[in-house]
Amino acid sequence: MKNYKHYRLIILFCLCFLAVANVNAQSDWQLTAKENESLSPFLFDDDMILEGKISYENSCTSCHGMPGQADYTPMAPSPGDPASDQFQLQSDGALFHKIKTGRGTMPKFEDVFADDETWNLVAFIRSFNENYKQPVPDLGGIEIPEYSMKLAFDENIDKLVVKVFAKELPQSDVSVSAFVKGSFGKYLIGKAQTDELGIAYVDVDPTLPGDAEGKLDIMVKVTKGYGLAKMNANMIMAKPTVRKSAIEGRHIWSNDKNAPIWLKVSFFITIFGVWLVLFFIVIGLRGINKANKEEE
Amino acid sequence: MNDTITKENLNDDQIDQDLLKNVNWGNKFKLWLAFLSVSLIICLYFYYQQLQHGLGVTGLHDYVSWGIYISNFVFFVATSLIGMLISSVLGLMNVHWVKPLARIAELVAVAFAIVAGLIIITDMGRPDRLLNVFMHGRVQSPIVWDIAVIVTYVAISVLLLYIPLLPDIALCRDKLKNVPKWQQKMYKILALGWSGKTRQFKIMNNYTRILLILIIPIALSIHTVTSWLFAMTLRSGWDSPIFGPYFVSGAFVAGCAAVIITMFFFQRNFKLQKYITTDHFDRMGKLLVLVALVYVYFNINEIIVPGYKANTADAKHVDEMLYGHESLMFWLVQLGGLVIPFLLILFKPMRKPLPLTLISIVVLAGAWFKRVLIVVPTQLSPYYPIQNVPEKWNHYSPTVPEIAITLASFILVLIIMTVLAKLFPVISIWEVKEEMNHNKELA
Amino acid sequence: MSKANKNDNSRRNFLQKLGIAGASAVAGSALLLQGCNNSNKASGNKVKVLTADNKLVEVDVAHLQPGDKIKDLEYLQDRGREGIPGKKFVMVVDLAKCKNARKCMKACQSAHQLKPEMHHINVLEMDDPVRHTSYYMPKPCQHCDNPPCVSVCPVDATFKRQDGIVLIDNERCIGCRFCVAACPYSARSFNWTEPKDAEEFAEVTYDMELNVPQKKGTVTKCAFSADRLRVGKLPYCVSACPNGVYYFGDANEDLVTNGTTKKTVRLSALLDENAAYTLMPELGTKPSVYYLPPRQSKG
Repeated sequence: MKNYKHYRLIILFCLCFLAVANVNAQSDWQLTAKENESLSPFLFDDDMILEGKISYENSCTSCHGMPGQADYTPMAPSPGDPASDQFQLQSDGALFHKIKTGRGTMPKFEDVFADDETWNLVAFIRSFNENYKQPVPDLGGIEIPEYSMKLAFDENIDKLVVKVFAKELPQSDVSVSAFVKGSFGKYLIGKAQTDELGIAYVDVDPTLPGDAEGKLDIMVKVTKGYGLAKMNANMIMAKPTVRKSAIEGRHIWSNDKNAPIWLKVSFFITIFGVWLVLFFIVIGLRGINKANKEEE
Repeated sequence: MNDTITKENLNDDQIDQDLLKNVNWGNKFKLWLAFLSVSLIICLYFYYQQLQHGLGVTGLHDYVSWGIYISNFVFFVATSLIGMLISSVLGLMNVHWVKPLARIAELVAVAFAIVAGLIIITDMGRPDRLLNVFMHGRVQSPIVWDIAVIVTYVAISVLLLYIPLLPDIALCRDKLKNVPKWQQKMYKILALGWSGKTRQFKIMNNYTRILLILIIPIALSIHTVTSWLFAMTLRSGWDSPIFGPYFVSGAFVAGCAAVIITMFFFQRNFKLQKYITTDHFDRMGKLLVLVALVYVYFNINEIIVPGYKANTADAKHVDEMLYGHESLMFWLVQLGGLVIPFLLILFKPMRKPLPLTLISIVVLAGAWFKRVLIVVPTQLSPYYPIQNVPEKWNHYSPTVPEIAITLASFILVLIIMTVLAKLFPVISIWEVKEEMNHNKELA
Repeated sequence: MSKANKNDNSRRNFLQKLGIAGASAVAGSALLLQGCNNSNKASGNKVKVLTADNKLVEVDVAHLQPGDKIKDLEYLQDRGREGIPGKKFVMVVDLAKCKNARKCMKACQSAHQLKPEMHHINVLEMDDPVRHTSYYMPKPCQHCDNPPCVSVCPVDATFKRQDGIVLIDNERCIGCRFCVAACPYSARSFNWTEPKDAEEFAEVTYDMELNVPQKKGTVTKCAFSADRLRVGKLPYCVSACPNGVYYFGDANEDLVTNGTTKKTVRLSALLDENAAYTLMPELGTKPSVYYLPPRQSKG
């Protein structure tokens, strides 16, 4: 509580200071040592970076621009480019807590992003630093468990049932996210946590179109701490949809082979009909010479 | 009943002499042909340039991708339609006075229809791929229909020119002994052994009659289908259900004017005043009044209906025409090329050969520009604004090569018509004789 | 000189590559069959390729490496006309996000060998008659399901594929420009003169999915980057946009992916929630490109 008051005072002070002096007060960002040293409970991977990118583009680009492009909005204090040393020399914990708490014109994102989403953002920012190596705490001999899972779809309640194991034992409190693998990206179906039986239920929208049998290509990811497992599956869980070709049927715009019958018939009958008559007339002109002989 | 043929009593020999007189290759004609050929070669040089550098040598661009080539094509198809009206419709209705004009009308039809087919090729970006139309033709495309009916129309028109010409070719074969060998040989082959037998006349009359009937739907088709090149699209200004009859009625105006000009030329050059009389001009003038009236009616429809409803894109198009960038050409064409000539021809003195011919030249020029007005402005008011392109893409002005290639088509028509007129009598000798004898019997 | 050299080099490389594929395919070794991870059943489509020692051999298309196949015109032409089964590509353009950066136009023009005045996609400044302001509207080909341009083509040079894409085959186009005249969206362009960098592209095999090399006297148009879709990549314009304007995907999957954020969303939800519209629906062309209105963006 005391800490909190202290914080508010500082923010108030900073705001006043900014308003009056208008200086870059980056170093004035007060973080506790603990906050500074806190580490991500997840190993940064491509999925985290991608999700971080989505959050970043929605919430951060308007001031910070795209990392590495130095196209941040020119204002004071300068928001800075997250790919620059100004950011990259800070610890993971510092970035994480600064995003969470905000300061001055930098909004507070505590209520916008859950902790794991904030770590996604850190992972994204770190992806612009080639020299970065993620610091991992000393696990004290504890092994990172190897997760495995079983998938099933309960069509009565439209839920994807994910059961997570490690060494044959069900695992509780594991985060499960399920995605549909689309042509160009993964669509998040939903997220859930496993219960004490190691089972998580992910809601599936029954209107999702599958293939002719209702099958969908999905990817399920489970994470807990530094433990991570992914599984791809192709299972019946969506609305069976017949994928029609866009050029089925006979249309004016179809190729010649699929032209409307009435058009083909009327065109060819007319043209061939007329040419047949012309052909007979040309042949019949021989009758003129013949007429000479007949009357002789 | 038949005051269009001179009242003078002409015997058969006199008629033969008068009407075969033009069949010779005099020095004057050779000079004229040489002049035409040299002009054509100059113009074809520009076409060579176009083949080398692409259609970029023209004033065309992505927003006006059809320019005066296509307008000219429409104009040529339109003009060629007159063969059908005069020889077929009026012929079948037994309108006697048009009989001496039928061959002139067919001559105009054949020349303009053949050249129309060539104009289309000059507009193609890849003329070397012309055969694709036959190899990969799509029956749904109005271009395929257009090619089919134009080829058919040329074939019927040629037959319709040729078959009633048989007795006259035979006459040339028998009477013209001082023409070059090849020409005599040509007459011999083309005459098909004609000897004036009753049965031969019967065959000729039968076939002519079939062709006269057949040509009506085909002629209507060629111009209707040509109008569909525009009307089948979703562009405002083109997207109109009356385009078919609108084009056909306009075609008769252009065709009548072209026939009057040709008549005047033949009458003066070949001294045919006894056969193409002042009365013929008078009647053609009246015919022109009739078809112009119908055309004015369609023009009113074409402007007032979209103008009244003022649908966004249509309103823009109509505004451009009536008050905007196109207004000068629009009013010149409508008033100068249609309404004023029409009012003038209402007076008898204006239907005398010379004034009528002068008026017809104005009408024909108006008809040509009218086609430009149909083709170009619609493309200049697209549904979405013309942006991020060179400023000049907001307008269209044809370039020198483009105009030269267009001129080439007119030169080619003149060559075809004069060569044919120098090889065959331009007025049907046997029909004139028949008419004359018929008159004598009546008298 | 250096340009010629480069060309020569790349050609040699390509011949060598072909040579390897050709020779091993002829040998028919089991090793190669193992090496191909995709289906390596003979497709029956034979192509002629040059071996390293300059011999022409016939090889089944299925036995070629992906890098080699694309050098064969006949294969490319068949593939281009066939399309990708089971797909129906759509684009969603969020007008609220467009800030006229024009990165899409640039990416498109450089991919398709276009001159600066030629556009497969054109960002227009449109008037908003209600608010008396203007907004920017990227206008690619609408890939209509009732395409007026395809209807009028006399030679089947422009056509619609089973995946909904309207393409042009500039090996067949006769340059009549009827399609240009018929398109109400002014989406087509014509090569009035020799295309840009024509000499550089002289040796390249024509791929109608990319419509490169461009040819003088033929029409060119947006292809929804069909060449990229085939390998699971988003179109050039979609990937180039810095502002998240474009979503692209498969209507059959009901999923579209934003080219900037790479976020994948449900197509039906995106269209419903944002009151999406198509351009001039009254014409009945049934476009495959949807627009989200230029409202105040909620991010």
